[in-house]
Amino acid sequence: MTVVQIPPPPLPVRDKAAPRALSPMLTRLAEERATGVLVREHGTLYLAEGRVVHAESPLAPGLDVLLTAHGTLAATAWQRAATATAGPLQAAELLLESGVLPAGALELCHLDALYDAGYFALAPSSTPGRFRYDNAPRVGPLPSVPVVALERETLRRRLMLHRLWPDPAADSAPLIRADPAVGPAGTAPVTPRQRAVLDRVDGIRTATGIARNLGRQAFHTLVDVRRLAAAGHVAPLPPVVPEPAPPPPPPVTDPDIALLKRLRDALEAL
Amino acid sequence: MPGIDECLLEAMRLPGARGAALVDWTSGLALGTVGEAPGGDHETTAAEAAELARMAAEHGAFAAQGDGHPPVEDVIVSNRDSYHLLRFVDTSFDSSVFLHLWLGREDGNLALARIRLGEMADRLVLG
Repeated sequence: MTVVQIPPPPLPVRDKAAPRALSPMLTRLAEERATGVLVREHGTLYLAEGRVVHAESPLAPGLDVLLTAHGTLAATAWQRAATATAGPLQAAELLLESGVLPAGALELCHLDALYDAGYFALAPSSTPGRFRYDNAPRVGPLPSVPVVALERETLRRRLMLHRLWPDPAADSAPLIRADPAVGPAGTAPVTPRQRAVLDRVDGIRTATGIARNLGRQAFHTLVDVRRLAAAGHVAPLPPVVPEPAPPPPPPVTDPDIALLKRLRDALEAL
Repeated sequence: MPGIDECLLEAMRLPGARGAALVDWTSGLALGTVGEAPGGDHETTAAEAAELARMAAEHGAFAAQGDGHPPVEDVIVSNRDSYHLLRFVDTSFDSSVFLHLWLGREDGNLALARIRLGEMADRLVLG
C-alpha cells in the first residue's frame, strides 16, 4: 500500500505586495453597493450603488471653479443652475441637459474634479470617516467611477508625488521662493504652467490656494509644486516656532505673610 | 454633441484603429478607453503615453511660434507594425489631456487619422 504524504497546507501569508485599502469602510461600502455620503476629514464622497458619482474637498477647486475661472461658463449661468438644483452634481447635470456646454467638456471637467477631490478625500486622516445612508446620490448621465478605480488612482498619485520630491510639506504649507544660491535652481527649466504657479508664490498661499486662484486642479498644482521644490525654486515656509513664553510668575509663598499673621494672632491674644 | 465615450468610439471607426484613450498628461490617468492597448494594459499605456506627451508639451523646442494654445498639436510615433497618434485637446478650461489613437500599420492611414482625430478633439470640447 502506498501512503500518500499530503503536505499540510501552507499557512496563509498576507500579500505584502497588495496595496492596503485606503479606507476599510469605503471598501466595505463598495462591496455592499451602498448608496449615501461618506464624510472624511479632508473631503466627501457621494456613492451610488457602490460607485463614486461625485466628490468634494475644501482643498480641491470644484467643477464650478474649473468651469468659470477661464470663462468656459459664465458665473451667472452656474449660479442659475446651482440655485435651481440640490447640489453641484445636479447643477452639472442640468447644464448637460440644457446643452449650455458640450457634453465632452462637461464630462471631462466632472471627471477631473472627481479624481481631484477624491485624492484629498482619501488622504490619511486623524479622525474616522462617517457614512450616512442616503438615497439622494444616483448614477446619472455624467460618468461615475468604481470605488476601486478611485482608490487605485489615489495611491498611484501619492506614489507619483513621492517620486517627484519626497517631502510632503510643500503640499500644505504656505510657499516661499527658495534661495537660488541654496537650491540647485537652473537645472530644470521652468515650464509655462509652472511659471504660472511660481508667479503666485507669495509666502501666504499654499499649493491648493494657488490651484484655486488659477482655476486649476489641485493635484496638477501639487505636481508642479513638487517639481519646483525638487528643482530648488520653491520651499515650504518653515513652521513658525513660537517665542518661548516668559517664565511664569513665581508661586506666592511669601513667608512674610505667615509671619505677619502670627504677629497679628499674638497681638490679638494679648 | 459627443461625450468622451462617443468620441473614442468614433476614433475606433478609423481604418486600422486598435485602441483609443483620453489621457491626462499631468497625472497619467486614462479618463476613458476603448479597444485594445499595447500589452493589454490601458493603464500602463496611458502613463507611458502621458510621459511622452508631457515632454512634447513642456519643452520649448517643440512649441509653435507665438502664444497659441496648445503649444503642440500632435505627437506621432511609428514602429514596424503600428502608429501611435497623440492629439492634444485644447480646452477653454484648465486641463492637460490628449487623445491617444493606436493604429495598425497595415490598414492605418496616418494622414487621414491625424486630420480626423484633430476634428474629434475639437468636437469633444467645443461641441
